[in-house]
Amino acid sequence: MLLTYHRLGGLGIALWAITIGVCLFLLVPIIFIAALSFGSSRWLAFPPPAWTLRWYQELAADPRWLEAALTSAKVGLLSAALAVLLGLMASFALVRGRFRGRNFLKALFLTPMVLPVIVFAVAIYALFLRVGLNGTLVGFVLAHTVLAFPFAVIPIVNSLEGFDKSIEDAAVLCGASPLQAKLKITLPAIRIGLFSAAVFAFLISWDEVVVAIFMASPDLQTLPVRIWGALRQDLTPVIAAASTILVAFTLLVMAAVALLRRRISR
Amino acid sequence: MATEATSPRRRWRGLGPAVPALALLALFFVIPVVSLLLRSILEPQFGLQNYAELFATSTYARVFYNTFLVASVVTAVSLALGYPVAWLLAIMPPGRANLVLAIILVSMWTNLLARTYAWMVLLQRTGVINTTLMKLGLIDEPLALVKNLTGVTIGMTYIMLPFIILPLYASIRTLDPAILQAASLCGAGRWQAFRRVLLPLSAPGAAAGGLMVFVMSLGYFVTPALLGGASHMMLAEMIAQLVQSLLNWGLGSAAAFVLLTVTLALYSVQIRFFGGMR
Repeated sequence: MLLTYHRLGGLGIALWAITIGVCLFLLVPIIFIAALSFGSSRWLAFPPPAWTLRWYQELAADPRWLEAALTSAKVGLLSAALAVLLGLMASFALVRGRFRGRNFLKALFLTPMVLPVIVFAVAIYALFLRVGLNGTLVGFVLAHTVLAFPFAVIPIVNSLEGFDKSIEDAAVLCGASPLQAKLKITLPAIRIGLFSAAVFAFLISWDEVVVAIFMASPDLQTLPVRIWGALRQDLTPVIAAASTILVAFTLLVMAAVALLRRRISR
Repeated sequence: MATEATSPRRRWRGLGPAVPALALLALFFVIPVVSLLLRSILEPQFGLQNYAELFATSTYARVFYNTFLVASVVTAVSLALGYPVAWLLAIMPPGRANLVLAIILVSMWTNLLARTYAWMVLLQRTGVINTTLMKLGLIDEPLALVKNLTGVTIGMTYIMLPFIILPLYASIRTLDPAILQAASLCGAGRWQAFRRVLLPLSAPGAAAGGLMVFVMSLGYFVTPALLGGASHMMLAEMIAQLVQSLLNWGLGSAAAFVLLTVTLALYSVQIRFFGGMR
């Protein structure tokens, strides 16, 4: 009866205790940081002696934070667009192509996801040192597109596999050009996959730290690089404020995704 | 049939749309990684001296030891904590399961630096954990929880737990409760049913999740660099330092090659025995 919820008995209590413990373990640090970002103690005493918005004001007063956020957004959007475009084309090849080495290609496309990021970071840093792309927007976008690519390909391949190609063929038989049929029939049908791909790719780039640390210059930093730099100096509550904004942003994206997915799938 | 195998046009049918992606990955992924690995045998001169130095120097041996120790402990603790959660999650009523899943996903998608920062604050000498323990009279001196491997292990377990829970949950959910009922009808006690039926049936999921966490932990950079100290370095941080601060590209890429080899070897074990990485 170990897999029947209502017949777990005492074991159920033990499992619930561990589950609640793990949930608290996962949730408390995030809530804690949000609380501290409104606390008045510079040394992050808890519970805070008083509440304040001071750290958010300091954050807003320093233009470097806003600049970093804008850079992150730019890099994220461009990488996501590029990853989805290349991923969409590659998915057509992977799902419909009948060529040699298709499985090899599939494996290659997923490798950036499994390779330790530090190895890729050092490798691309070395290449960009030679061609002068470190500290440039183009460099950031190229590197993040590589990292985001597998996360774009997986959902698109999955939804394309679930799409019946004969519908597209029917459109062609009715006089549409192959490209027209793809744009007007196939793309709308796999829109959930495309949408997930874009969100995943954006979040991968938005949160990426390791490659960004190597590539950043004092003039061009993404938000994680900025936080990393601040963290290495001290644990100022300004970072708590920045973190809280990031968490809120992620929650908003996730909520928007959940809502949109429900809408789209109707 | 013979023409299909030999006609060059047929052989590459449908590959076209993948070419741009292939070019991107070749130029900015395969070539840089391969040329990095080549530097480990070419710099400062051709030979295996970098690898000899890497394995003979006690400082570097210490880093390898730290890395494998932390990765093993993190994997073991995550499995021990994650298994009961995944198990309950797989059978609890959907409403509550969605709530627990939401908590796991929120934690997983929260910015990595924000989460690591939280643990740096919580674990520091004047942090909540130390002050609470001292107020309760459990300790007299603040415990050293950060800038050492304890801190790294706590922070990494925190980050890896979702990666254990989600695949295990997916694998336990596919098990048929009737199998366990059959075990009990045949006279198996709870412990026996767990050990002889549930555990073996969920072992592939646990092994797949555990292997993934172990591999990810081996190459992790951010959390060990922030929660560990300079004297408790792990492999990824060492690679970064060798390349960025010491400009020793030969040795740095040798270390990267070791990490890459171990990672790919462990993944191929996983694909071989547990099929794919789903």
